[in-house]
Amino acid sequence: MSGPQGDPAGQPGGGPGSLADRQAALVKALTSGQPVPNGFDGFRVEAARAALLRKRAGEVARQWPMLAAGFGARWKPEFAEWAAARPTQGSLRDGWDLARDLRARHALPAVAAAELAEREAAWRYDGDSAPRPRRGPAVRSAAGAVVVQFAGRVRVLRRP
Amino acid sequence: MNAGYGVGIGWRPEIAGFVAGLPGLRFAEVVAESVHAHGDLPAGLPELLARGVAVVPHGVRLSLGGAEPVDPARVDHLAAVAERLGAPLVSEHIAFVRAGGVEAGHLLPLPRTREAVDAVVANVKRTQAALSVPIALEPIAALFDWPDDELDEAGFLTEILTRTEALLLLDIANVYANARNRGADPLALLDRLPLDRVAYVHVAGGAEHQGLYHDTHTDAVPRAVLDLVTELCARHRPPALMLERDGDYPPAAELRSELDAIATAAGCPAIT
Repeated sequence: MSGPQGDPAGQPGGGPGSLADRQAALVKALTSGQPVPNGFDGFRVEAARAALLRKRAGEVARQWPMLAAGFGARWKPEFAEWAAARPTQGSLRDGWDLARDLRARHALPAVAAAELAEREAAWRYDGDSAPRPRRGPAVRSAAGAVVVQFAGRVRVLRRP
Repeated sequence: MNAGYGVGIGWRPEIAGFVAGLPGLRFAEVVAESVHAHGDLPAGLPELLARGVAVVPHGVRLSLGGAEPVDPARVDHLAAVAERLGAPLVSEHIAFVRAGGVEAGHLLPLPRTREAVDAVVANVKRTQAALSVPIALEPIAALFDWPDDELDEAGFLTEILTRTEALLLLDIANVYANARNRGADPLALLDRLPLDRVAYVHVAGGAEHQGLYHDTHTDAVPRAVLDLVTELCARHRPPALMLERDGDYPPAAELRSELDAIATAAGCPAIT
């Protein structure tokens, strides 16, 4: 722990036990399932971790309404389980990554298929950086939905 | 902010139509990161500005309490949005939201240490250097504290405000939540804060889970929070107060009655 002597004024951070290290350890505990750092109230940090996952679930539901709707009342626990050890990349990408995971496991709800296919057709997303609009036309399918995009316009050809 | 803004509301796209229909509205707040520095303004905001409603950009991602220096691109964005909106001031939190390259996804509390005060003060000064308007700093609601606090909350906040000469954005629901979760008296905190530096006040709802009060912004404003508004105004009337609602939006009639309840508790004219 860093005591009152700490680091020189105006230059906090750097070095073991520094504010930077301790903040990083706390964020890891809250986002990656790492142990709660020594001295913290474990029950309260766990309550904050759960609240954070509920908040993220709500934000992803706003970006991916059909994905959330596909799980109904199970959405928040489903998302929380998936996201517990995955720090947020922003709600657009979080929902996208989850939808792709579900598709790979053949577990994407049918009602959410067109939503994923539409985005895959309109945007290029490599899974590591911010999605970019596609320049050329594209046809994409997901869980039985088929979507075509031409000149930025997206049409669903088939729904599951 | 000028005296007389009265009761306002946090503008969100989902309730843009409701906000546009408030006849007495004179001020609103918008999440700074949701506004493009150069592209189109979110639909509905230009109409509010044309009516003369003051719109304050409220940052949520600067991470002023981070040990690392604040990201200059984020600071520039906040400054550009303030200029686009012609805002009288901007606001941000006394909190950190990322560390070690990982986003927390939420506002996290700082240890109340001198090292943390130094970090916040340095970042606020970096931000102020880019801004052409004042910044108001908002203390957050924290479900947990750090194990090695050296200062109490009033001492910590006063030190930061004094050294930065920043204004205070007092979230009365956060005062309530922290006091309730720590078993402390919220009035004792109000009595020690520099209330003459309050630029405006947040009022929001919350709910209890497993014995802890969560400042959710998705539940109704409890009576106890409205009573604290009255206590605050009896000590020092802030220039403005506003309702913060961030989801699970109720019917318009319910939102109107929440705004009216804040106005009543503060002794301000209704804006509905």
